[in-house]
Amino acid sequence: MIDLVGRVGRWVLERFKEVLQVSVLMVDTVVWLVVAPLTGKGFRWRSSIRNFVEFGVRSLPIVGMISFLIGVIIALQASYTLDQWGANRYIADLVAVSALRELAPLMTAILIAGRCGSAITAEIGTMKVNEEIDALEVMGVNPIKYLVAPKFLAMVTAVPAVTALAMLIMIFGGWASAVFVVGVETEIYVTQTIGAIVEKDLLTGMIKSLFFGIAICWVGVYRGFQVEGGAEGVGRQTTASVVTAIFLIIIVDLIFTVLFYYV
Amino acid sequence: MEPIIVVEDLQVAYGDKVVLDGINLSVEPGEVFVILGGSGSGKTTLLRNLVGLMRPQAGRILIDGRDFTSMSAAERMDIRRTMGMCFQGSALLGSLSVADNVALPLREHTKLEESTIDIMTRIKLELVGLGGFEDYLPSELSGGMRKRAGIARAMAMDPKVIFYDEPSAGLDPIVAAGLDELIRTMQSTFNLTSVVVTHEMESVRIIADRVCVLHQGRVAGIGSLDELERSDHQYIQQFFARRPDDPGTADADYARSLTNID
Ligand SMILES: Nc1ncnc2c1ncn2[C@@H]1O[C@H](COP(=O)(O)OP(=O)(O)O)[C@@H](O)[C@H]1O
Ligand SMILES: [Mg+2]
Repeated sequence: MIDLVGRVGRWVLERFKEVLQVSVLMVDTVVWLVVAPLTGKGFRWRSSIRNFVEFGVRSLPIVGMISFLIGVIIALQASYTLDQWGANRYIADLVAVSALRELAPLMTAILIAGRCGSAITAEIGTMKVNEEIDALEVMGVNPIKYLVAPKFLAMVTAVPAVTALAMLIMIFGGWASAVFVVGVETEIYVTQTIGAIVEKDLLTGMIKSLFFGIAICWVGVYRGFQVEGGAEGVGRQTTASVVTAIFLIIIVDLIFTVLFYYV
Repeated sequence: MEPIIVVEDLQVAYGDKVVLDGINLSVEPGEVFVILGGSGSGKTTLLRNLVGLMRPQAGRILIDGRDFTSMSAAERMDIRRTMGMCFQGSALLGSLSVADNVALPLREHTKLEESTIDIMTRIKLELVGLGGFEDYLPSELSGGMRKRAGIARAMAMDPKVIFYDEPSAGLDPIVAAGLDELIRTMQSTFNLTSVVVTHEMESVRIIADRVCVLHQGRVAGIGSLDELERSDHQYIQQFFARRPDDPGTADADYARSLTNID
């Protein structure tokens, strides 16, 4: 019993220490993001743009495909119930609202976490193992400023941008199955969709996706800096990175969903 | 002459495992100072303290008479610009070309024109015998060439002191000899204070002005090679003669206690 209490206590302490370390990392990153551009050539715009292409543009094919399929799936699932009431035209409402408020941001974030969050961990972890991080420090180059700040900016812009496209594609997928499988008329589908979307849904989704981007980046970076002991350590943290990121995405999702439920 | 580096009663531990215990030494300007010791004797740890990558538990490190261990971060940055470090695995940034690696400190710390940086980079690469390899990625170079590129990068800001961690480890004897020669050339051309960590006696005989032997986290002896060869310290004699340990001796036990292997 005492052993259990001790173990739980230690676990809580560990997590608390991690939160503390991540907070320091967050503050550092944001400070550099603001300070570096002011000091002239401090911010590495080109590196940030390259990262944006990697996180955003290169994620489009997979995110696009999955979003389309999910759109198709929700429409069919919705029809399963709505058909009984002869209310198939409301498929459009359901697809639009769930895509905007929930599914497009969530799927995009999970896919980008899997593709890029882990890649960030692997990159930084490998650099740590190869003493490249130490080398930067000895040269008087701050690793947060040099490595993390550009990635952070790229991630918090790429995730919402890709999410916006995913929303569109998901609605398109819903339309495709509603029109070609269920037999709803295009005109009705479009009118229903336009009627269903309110500004707040879009805003909700975009705000969520911004925080998903922040979560993905910081988990990736933090796990990368945690790497200890060779290639094996990189592998371990990379796996941990994806799991932590997805877990955190769900938690953030929950918090915002509850928040928007009351607001 | 005033020593350029002074280490006083340095004590360093990982957790509660004391790795360096009461190190005292000083490095004179312009000399090649070799830190010699077996694997796990704490050579890298000492070097990491000297360049400020680690903070010691106790003791002081003076660089040019200024206390490196207790100064502000900004001051430490200033001092670091007068130092260059070559890592054991060369630690070149894998995503940058050789030229960009060498240019990195110049781009970050100076306001020089890109064309000037370009020329300076070329000069540094020529210096280490890598002229013409500007656009190669580190992964496209051999181990010895990577080490040379690492030296070029360490030299980019024209440091007053350069630190080498095991410059010839893992290289064939011919390439290793080439690096020894390069270390010597750097020292004589620029009157560059050089601190070299190694465990290879062949190297030491070629490059060292003075040698410090580390053993069990302490300094077993400091002096010129001749002085140390005449030393009656048992470990130094054993090291210089390349005699193996008897299993079961205090030394073997010590190594085991550090590495936690039973
Ligand atoms: N990050 C670390 N954490 C814990 N112990 C370490 C760490 N780095 C080195 N050590 C231990 O400190 C001792 C000295 O290591 P090191 O300075 O790398 O020796 P050397 O460079 O002479 O081979 C070794 O026993 C090693 O196991
Ligand atoms: Mg070492």
